[in-house]
Amino acid sequence: MTGEQIEGMEDTRQMITLELDRLTFRFPEVHPDAACAIDFQRTLRIPDDGDDYPLPPGLGSFPLRHVDDYLAQLPDAWRRRGGVLLPMHQAEAMWLSFDSDSGYPFAIKVATGKICAVTGDAWAERLNRDPQDYLVVPEQPWLDGYCVEKGLIRQFVAMPLGAGYTVEEQLTGAAEHGGLQIIAIPMKRERYEEMRREETCRVAYDVAPDVVYGPPTESAMGLAPGGRMRQEIYDDPHGLDVWDQRHFSRCFVSIVNSRQWQSITGEQPPTEPPTAAQYANAGLPWFDYYRDLDAVEATDKLKDTSSVAAIAAKKGDAPLPANQTISPGNVIPIGSRRPAPRRRQVREMPHA
Amino acid sequence: MTHFGVTVRETRERLRQNDRSYSLRQVAQRVGVEPAYLSKIERGDVAPPSEATTKRLARELGEDPDVLLALGGKVSSDLQEIIRRRPRLFADLLRQLREAPDHAILRVVREVRDGDW
Repeated sequence: MTGEQIEGMEDTRQMITLELDRLTFRFPEVHPDAACAIDFQRTLRIPDDGDDYPLPPGLGSFPLRHVDDYLAQLPDAWRRRGGVLLPMHQAEAMWLSFDSDSGYPFAIKVATGKICAVTGDAWAERLNRDPQDYLVVPEQPWLDGYCVEKGLIRQFVAMPLGAGYTVEEQLTGAAEHGGLQIIAIPMKRERYEEMRREETCRVAYDVAPDVVYGPPTESAMGLAPGGRMRQEIYDDPHGLDVWDQRHFSRCFVSIVNSRQWQSITGEQPPTEPPTAAQYANAGLPWFDYYRDLDAVEATDKLKDTSSVAAIAAKKGDAPLPANQTISPGNVIPIGSRRPAPRRRQVREMPHA
Repeated sequence: MTHFGVTVRETRERLRQNDRSYSLRQVAQRVGVEPAYLSKIERGDVAPPSEATTKRLARELGEDPDVLLALGGKVSSDLQEIIRRRPRLFADLLRQLREAPDHAILRVVREVRDGDW
């Protein structure tokens, strides 16, 4: 038995595969259409200056590798977790892209350091509605960070585990897990089929804990809250009962400092992305996404976390190079008032 | 018309029913080709485009790039490289699985191991 088992329910964990640097979750026992993919997009780090920024572009997927391929090079704890490895430079940002080709709905929980990115609560595999601690795909195409206000997130920024910046360290006082944790739960077959039939008809924490940091693991990275970005976490339009919590898949994504990536895998890590200022000065596009859906409120736990820049200022540290305020001029509105889009929303630089 | 061209045209036209940005001109622009060239591709007047263009087209239309490449008579260069690195092993594997049903092939697909955390 690994992890927390859902009470009263048989553990029917399903297969995850790694396909072209994407995690693909399939639930053929639930429905042939029940599949979704998650990839981790490289991106610009927006300034952590208190201003609200639009969505930055995707600069391609981070590479993902099986932990099992590098067991000899990894610490015991990493080997036990299984899952995949992903390289990030210190202070580099990322966003998660969710894709369900068939439009099959999924509830997806995302945690960093085993802290929920939507609520700030400790990792739990069961879905909760009050407050909602999961995302609904395909309504939610992306997640760029921690929900800190209704309609606002703080960007996921990689920081060394043990330096006190990560949300895990801010909320638990420990630097134990780092990385990203994901669980995907498909919609119940009956509800999905009912939706398809309907479609056919239509077509026509208050005080911070005392922080005791563990010894930093040289290559371990966690995610910390960076700059503020306009992004809504959509309220579940289906309700808790539609999710088939008997079936789920989960994955631990260990984040490796890019400096150690080559010694572990023998591969070059991706180059560092351009700075936000370089990107904005070149007139390249930013994005503003709109869906006609309700958004969830932020919890006090995540509202009360401090950004990397705020913690650095207290520590007299300077971990964020090129953090000056910028003015993104070329903001492209994207989105839809229609129900769940079936095609993948494009959020990337135009082809040369 | 080739099967490739028919698939591209039918997929684009289906998307266009709900979204006018899927016109021939706008899709061509987003994919980085001339509208006249995309029109010829759809009609089968020219051979299917390069691997890079096919992948951009697949992404734009929400189609699987490997499926679209196969319709165009191509195999993705990353798959070719996988076979080139270990030709005997992968050639043998593919030949053995040639007639296997889909569910049997899925059983040999490598799973991401979920451990204890």
